[in-house]
Amino acid sequence: MTSAPTSSPAGQTGKTTLRTRASSVRWARRREVLREVMRNPLTVVGFVIIALFLLMALMAPLLTEANQPDPYQSPRDWGNIDVPPGVEGHVLGTDSTGGDVLYGIIWGSRLSLQLSLTVVISTLVIGTIVGSVAAMRGGRVDNFLMRVVDVFLAIPELIFALAIAAVLGPSFRNIILALAVVFWVKYARIIRGEIIRVKQTDYVAAAHVVGDSNWNIYRKDVLPNAVTPLVVQATLDMGNVVLIGAALSYIGLAQAGLTEWGAMVSAGQSGILAGQWWVSTFAGVAILLWALAFNLVGDGLRDALDPKTEGR
Amino acid sequence: MSVTLDHQNVGQPAPSSGGDVMTLHDVTVHYPVKQGVLQRVTGAVRAVDGVDLSIRRGQTLGLVGESGCGKTTLGRVIAGLVPATGGDIWFDLDEALRSRMEHLRSVPAESMTAQERSEWATLQANHRLGAMTKERQRVYRRNCQFVFQDAFASLNPRQLVRDIVGRPLRVYHEATGSDLDVKVINLLERVGLGPQHLLRYPHQFSGGQRQRISIARALALNPEFVVLDEPTSALDVSVQAQILNLLVELQEDLGLTYLFITHDLGVVQHMSDYLAVMYLGRIAEVGPTDQVFTDPLHPYTKVLRDSNPSLEGDEVDGSAHLRLTGTVPNPIDPPQGCRLHPRCPVSQPECGWQVDDMFLSLETSTPASFDAISRVERSGPFAAQLVMADDASARHLHDEITNSRSPFGRAVESITLNGANVSIRLREVEEIPLIPVSPGRMSSCLLSGRPGGITPPSESR
Amino acid sequence: MSVETPSDDWLLRVEDLSVHFHTPRGVVQAVDHITFEVRPKETLALVGETGCGKSVTARSIMKLVPEPPGEYASGSILLRSPSTGAVIDMLTAPMDQVRATRGDRIAMIFQDPGKALNPSLTIGRQLAEVFGEHRARMLLTQAGIDPDHAPVGSGAIASQRAGVIRRNFFHLTHPGQSRALRAAVDDAVINALSDTGIPNPRKVMSSYPHELSGGMKQRVMIAQALACDPDLLIADEPTTALDVTIQARILDLINDLQQRRGTAILYITHDLSLVRQFADRLAVMYAGRMVESGPALEVLKAPQHPYTQGLLAAIPRAGTPRGQLAAIAGSVPQLVDPPPQCHFSSRCGWSAEVCTTHVPHLIGLPGERKVACLRFEQASSIGVEEAEMPLRAAHVEVGP
Repeated sequence: MTSAPTSSPAGQTGKTTLRTRASSVRWARRREVLREVMRNPLTVVGFVIIALFLLMALMAPLLTEANQPDPYQSPRDWGNIDVPPGVEGHVLGTDSTGGDVLYGIIWGSRLSLQLSLTVVISTLVIGTIVGSVAAMRGGRVDNFLMRVVDVFLAIPELIFALAIAAVLGPSFRNIILALAVVFWVKYARIIRGEIIRVKQTDYVAAAHVVGDSNWNIYRKDVLPNAVTPLVVQATLDMGNVVLIGAALSYIGLAQAGLTEWGAMVSAGQSGILAGQWWVSTFAGVAILLWALAFNLVGDGLRDALDPKTEGR
Repeated sequence: MSVTLDHQNVGQPAPSSGGDVMTLHDVTVHYPVKQGVLQRVTGAVRAVDGVDLSIRRGQTLGLVGESGCGKTTLGRVIAGLVPATGGDIWFDLDEALRSRMEHLRSVPAESMTAQERSEWATLQANHRLGAMTKERQRVYRRNCQFVFQDAFASLNPRQLVRDIVGRPLRVYHEATGSDLDVKVINLLERVGLGPQHLLRYPHQFSGGQRQRISIARALALNPEFVVLDEPTSALDVSVQAQILNLLVELQEDLGLTYLFITHDLGVVQHMSDYLAVMYLGRIAEVGPTDQVFTDPLHPYTKVLRDSNPSLEGDEVDGSAHLRLTGTVPNPIDPPQGCRLHPRCPVSQPECGWQVDDMFLSLETSTPASFDAISRVERSGPFAAQLVMADDASARHLHDEITNSRSPFGRAVESITLNGANVSIRLREVEEIPLIPVSPGRMSSCLLSGRPGGITPPSESR
Repeated sequence: MSVETPSDDWLLRVEDLSVHFHTPRGVVQAVDHITFEVRPKETLALVGETGCGKSVTARSIMKLVPEPPGEYASGSILLRSPSTGAVIDMLTAPMDQVRATRGDRIAMIFQDPGKALNPSLTIGRQLAEVFGEHRARMLLTQAGIDPDHAPVGSGAIASQRAGVIRRNFFHLTHPGQSRALRAAVDDAVINALSDTGIPNPRKVMSSYPHELSGGMKQRVMIAQALACDPDLLIADEPTTALDVTIQARILDLINDLQQRRGTAILYITHDLSLVRQFADRLAVMYAGRMVESGPALEVLKAPQHPYTQGLLAAIPRAGTPRGQLAAIAGSVPQLVDPPPQCHFSSRCGWSAEVCTTHVPHLIGLPGERKVACLRFEQASSIGVEEAEMPLRAAHVEVGP
């Protein structure tokens, strides 16, 4: 037997203590899982990078003076255009309109956070609802919903997002919208598959024998055991969304001059041949690090949460 | 310390003592087989194919059979997990109600009097699975519980033991808060665990302990009937003994009725008062356990018993034992008549021989004849016309069958030869029912009631 | 201080074998200094419950334990040839020698035949590979080809290593010999299959594993194992996954084949009732150690070790009053970095203080029986006072 909380008859100490002890046991379990995840050094690296980006995004107003009226437009230093890194107080240089690259990176991280969080959370919710309805109802509802999902999945993500954003008009908000429309189907499919698997387990059957309602069974037995792959996918998508979002703003589907990393890559492109590498490079590195970090963490989560090793 | 039977459903009479907890009539569970793009139903897996059974209150009925016989499906049907596709299942019928049910059941609907109709409706509303009122459904649910084979699979890996065992109490609002915890601790102690196990996850326990948790959960609502689906098959012998002892102790203290499903003859012999043997979706034999074991009425029971390795007795002589031939047939298309006849060591001509049986035996005994069959035109399972490759092989086949002294050969009613065609017609046999052979004993073998019973005939097949 | 006086005629000797597994939680001593032997033509049953180490032992004999995380911490596994008397140690021999014995001198059948058969090859192909690996010369000779002067390509075809191109080329250049070779392989396969009672070997030969039933697959596995007439067959719970009626027929088959071919069998199982039917000798394992061994019927009639006694008493039998199965309290201890003690002491009715500090060794008893229990050892040989020893067994024979 593995270690466990020491025994003390619950009757003595009363209901509140047992309930708090129960939740402390649950938290202990979650910490254990986290420890398992952190065993892989690459995963830790990913976490660190994410933490740094998070700090950068949250503390942007503290790190740099927010530009007015729109902080997401780089302040233009018209006297110092195309300046290489380290010159005139511009640590990472400026672009061809005098916009500070470092400023762009920092405020761009806020945009990336906004983009990825909004898209991932909204698609998780929508996808879970649709997938759950399909899996729990089964039959024709399931068939219909899954055919819809199939249609969506048949179109490559980037092209689909591109088409939608192009139709809606160039703006950052529309990029978010486009990505949300494209990404939700993935989650629907994943959770539908997981719910179908879980529905066939004996513990769900046992819950039916106990006589619990379908909603309670869904809430307590089905969903908690079906979410693991979703968590992994969501983490990976935090990175992927920014990648695709950057691609979209690279081709100009965001507002002009936006401090979005993809847009910055695009803006600095023309300067590369003239030897002005810093704009595109730093922005590109930011995209790379963001996506890499989330992929590392996602992979680490997937390995740690593998049902074969889960909980042992 | 014993937990008393107390029924929280105010207004409902406590179940009567005596009588049947469950009564089954001609229960079938057929799973449709869909094929093709349009998913058309082309057949059905006949997992349970016409079962009559009654489970007496306070007793342990053992249900035995090999894999694929349908015993697990039947257990789940009885526990209400799987709906039956045919037949009727009755809950909590005492002697009087039972005889009323039997009588009314046989009266055709058109010729029922108004009074009979209303009586039948009341009977169904109170006692028939699938037709019960919501209230009665709750009573049934509370009183009929299930213990699964794989304890690990039947416990939610993300729930603490406290929540797993306390859940039935929560669902029926029996207790909350600290009252609930006290009740859960009581249940855990009842099955040999303790309060220190309350706040643990299933993966932190051994197999035997998990099964105990599963049993504690089943007992939470004071049921009177528990279906145990191979509760110890996945456990080591030493742990199995602990769990079996516990089950017996609980039965005595709480007055439980058990349906004990297993494939292990030693265990079932030890645990059950009555024994039902299943084969391919039907019951082969039912009776008191010791009688069924010492004097089996059905050849399948005898084969099962003889195949079972035993620690007792004198040195066993394997050659005297009955053995089955061939393999278990496909449950989508089970044999006609008696399900066992193609494999049975004592089969008779009237056991339901059909055209397909001939193909199977030809394939193994004279593959040349089998290969010479170019086409088969069936007109039912018992009659067909075979088009052979040439006249010579047709004649050969015709002679082979005519001269055969096997039960199949003797079941042939007519066989005609016409050039390269052989037309064959076999004796038509209906479904063979389970019939009483002696008080308390039923068997579905035609030989059971005859003198000599199921001993192999002296003549060779 | 070995108790083993090896018999003169032995086939397999496992001496002081220990197998450890390195896990994140520590070193698991799955098998701990066990010694036993298998004699030609006999059936030795190795019995124990989950986690006792019997499967690991079986796999070690063929050196199948993956070496990280496993480790052969001590001992040797000696295989002796009945004809030449030459002995090799499987644990130290070079791998190509080990591979040569696998399938040829020692064969193994497993619990789940479905998993042991390659699902993408026909049965005939799989069996042919066994023959090809070890009996290529025999196949060539049967086809009328002199193995030492065989035409180019025929050797590879006979040992089942030639691809489609080489086969067809050979067929073009030497049509007669190619046909003869094919016939020889087919004959060998059909004989092997029908020897295990499979009714239509030709049909089975061209089938895939998923087309066969469980009992049939097990027969195929037996056919594959016995194809090259090994001296020793290791059967690792071969009938656990099968129904009891099929199990009975498979056991009949194994018995019959043993009579006819004189193969020795090491039968691994957790089911004591099976042992009674066909085992000559019996060895009981618990928590990685051997606790008792001897002639099967003798051990079953009069078990000496408390664990064996408990195990037998726990099996439900007709006579036992219901609810009074003699269960062994407690459960198997974890074998991660275990303390030096008798692993059964926490569950044993006779255990004394000394049982938690000393490891019992296998002691010889009359009638070729051995027990590892401090009840049978002398206080003096361990170095403690008589008073600290557990209650002596009814007849305590002199040990070393």
